[in-house]
Amino acid sequence: MEENYAQLWQKLSAALKPQVSPDTFKRWFSAVKLVHATDDAFTFRVPNNIYQFWIESNHMAALQAAIVSAFGSPREVKFSSASEGPAKPGDEVLSEIPEKEFNRENSRDAKQSSTALGLNPRNSFESFVVGPNNEIAHAASLAVAQSPARTYNPLFIYGGVGLGKTHLMQSIGQYVGMKKKNAKVMYLSSELFINEFIDAIQHNNLVKFRKRYRQADLLLIDDIQFLGGKERSQEEFFHTFNTLFDGHKQIVLSSDRPPSEIANLEHRLVSRFEWGLTAELQPPDVETRMAILRKKAHTLGIKLRDETFDFLATRIRTNVRRLEGALMRVASFASLSGKELTNEVVEHLLKDILQEEARHAVTIEQIQRRVAEHYDVRLADMTSKRRPANIAFPRQIAMYLARELTKASLNEIGDAFGGRDHGTVLHACKLVKRRMQEQDNIRQTISFIDSALQR
Amino acid sequence: MKLSVTKEKLLEGLQQVQNVVSTRTTLPILSNVLLQAKGNEVHLTTTDLDVGVRGSFEASVEKEGATTLPARRLFTIIRELPSSEVQIEVDGKNAASIRSGQSFFKILGLPEEEFPPLPKFENAKVITIRQKDLRDGLRKTSYAISTDETRYVLNGLLFSLKENKLTLVATDGRRLAMVDIELEFPRSHEADIIVPTKAVTELQRLLTDDGEVKVSVGSGQIAFDLNNTLLVSKLIEGNYPNYRQVIPSETKERVTLERETFLNSLRRVSLLASDKSNSIKLNFTKNNIDITANTPEVGEAKESLAVVYKGREFSIAFNPEFFMAPLRALTEDEVFLDLIDEMSPGVLKIQTPFLYVLMPMRISS
Repeated sequence: MEENYAQLWQKLSAALKPQVSPDTFKRWFSAVKLVHATDDAFTFRVPNNIYQFWIESNHMAALQAAIVSAFGSPREVKFSSASEGPAKPGDEVLSEIPEKEFNRENSRDAKQSSTALGLNPRNSFESFVVGPNNEIAHAASLAVAQSPARTYNPLFIYGGVGLGKTHLMQSIGQYVGMKKKNAKVMYLSSELFINEFIDAIQHNNLVKFRKRYRQADLLLIDDIQFLGGKERSQEEFFHTFNTLFDGHKQIVLSSDRPPSEIANLEHRLVSRFEWGLTAELQPPDVETRMAILRKKAHTLGIKLRDETFDFLATRIRTNVRRLEGALMRVASFASLSGKELTNEVVEHLLKDILQEEARHAVTIEQIQRRVAEHYDVRLADMTSKRRPANIAFPRQIAMYLARELTKASLNEIGDAFGGRDHGTVLHACKLVKRRMQEQDNIRQTISFIDSALQR
Repeated sequence: MKLSVTKEKLLEGLQQVQNVVSTRTTLPILSNVLLQAKGNEVHLTTTDLDVGVRGSFEASVEKEGATTLPARRLFTIIRELPSSEVQIEVDGKNAASIRSGQSFFKILGLPEEEFPPLPKFENAKVITIRQKDLRDGLRKTSYAISTDETRYVLNGLLFSLKENKLTLVATDGRRLAMVDIELEFPRSHEADIIVPTKAVTELQRLLTDDGEVKVSVGSGQIAFDLNNTLLVSKLIEGNYPNYRQVIPSETKERVTLERETFLNSLRRVSLLASDKSNSIKLNFTKNNIDITANTPEVGEAKESLAVVYKGREFSIAFNPEFFMAPLRALTEDEVFLDLIDEMSPGVLKIQTPFLYVLMPMRISS
């Protein structure tokens, strides 16, 4: 171990040397030793506390940058000083706060057990940022975690990609695992369930398979929508579900769509999934995105300017995972290049992500352009007062699409169409809807424009 | 207890002690001042259990006795009194009647016995310092004391007594101020002690330019006896960091600066240093320094100073507030700035034993 750390430290030193002046390196870092390293944190032994104070105050940025360039991701940096009390060699200091140490021991235990379950210790309730988009799902999850099988059973969480379904499920798993040491927590994806089921059929040990799942105190199944179309798996799951439910065991499921919309899912399962509580996760609003960024930056020890946070939060709207990826990219660029992060630099850095984002946001103007193009009328006609049928109807379609595809209010849409009244827009929407029902060709045309816009 | 005194003397006495009284305290007695009338003197004592101050004022005492009264309230009442003659009479239930001209106040106090006594100093090591020297030393260093409570050993000023020298040191991790005071004391008195910020602040207020101060160092506590006033304080336990490590052993460039001119330039330029990055840049060229600051989307400032400088041309950035603090505290006309390169600390010196180490900030390219 000791040698390992020495090697790590050599690698880190090499990355650190160009970051600081030779005098600084000699004065402050030559006496530093790496005494403990995990994937999240490094503990450095320093001769006395002045090293800690001075490095923390003045050379932390350089040290973090060196860590990122040497190991690819930031770590938490801790210090232990040799002069502080009779610290045993190799043991981690922080003994002044025994409580903290205790918690750390605990969380290390939890980490071990949770990694065995396939739970990521970073996905905890503490690290989940709550906003109006997800507060119901969060509150429900917390309630379930605090008293399993007493409140909502089953709990069904659904929402789009990267909005925190897995995070919430794993939080529940870890919370229960930590509070009740003996509780049997099972966390798996529906895909794994299906595979194991197939395996069990193949090797003819269905009994073992059933026993395994039906003994769980808490069953968490991620991405349950993959069960759609797999009839025998559904049947097996149905029985597992019933056994657990009748035994007052908690079941938590997640999916990317509500139960009723999962294709080829048996009705009895749909109705069971809807039995408890169905909670939706929506994309976060800008404040929540901001909070997520700050929290993430804080845990990773990244310091960015407010403008940069602002930029990221306003430009990346759809997906939390993407938001965090963008933050990592910006932070590592900043620490590696040491350049000032202006919005232009960030924009350049994230151009692929931003393009992807921009594609999803449809503007009224794009709709107008597209509809005008399709019906071969002038763009100006979209806003003009003229209303012969060959102009008025495309304009109404454009209003309808604006209503469907953007978040603009009736008034805003009216304004965008040459200052029309909200009633006009409402009328247009109703009219188009009716004609879509009546005439197939109109429905096809509109769905064609719609999909062209969404692409 | 019954006494009469002039308003001015009473106010002066209260002013000396009232700063120690903590505003929010769990023990009500700690917001009171202890008054002890004896002979032709009244002693005043306040404490927050960490720092205590004892002062006195002359008065004509008709009846000796002691009580405690709410310090802040007493002070505000006395300050507003209409006449310069004040009579105070305290009954057996610690209720004080204050008469002055046409005014009459009655305020309720607490018994003397409840007031925590100041610690005794027996077998303490005593040294004597000229008040002026100590006051100078505190002024030149105390601004650099850390306010970061997680680094509690830095929340005070180091008094290092060694080899007939008193060295005062303050640092917050980004800068360090140090002063040496020549002093004679026996070897057995050598020690390193950390005096908490509050005691340093109070001491600075109490010290004058004349006379001496008798310093008694006991176990875990210190007392400063300034003839008519006594300040006692707990010491910060722990080892002060090895500050010598911070001081660069050799520097390359030296520039002599007119303190006031330079300070004024810094102050003007720093108006356009942004709150966040908060740095100003010094650009050294032959016989010239350009001081610049800029904040994106706000603007920039620049000043040129003619100086004697023949060294390498380079730029270095500092936190303006950290640079101005020692310049304000010093009184000398000339200061010397020693530098190595743009990434190494700068050192500010004067003719007398004083040293200020300041870490540069990263220059964003």
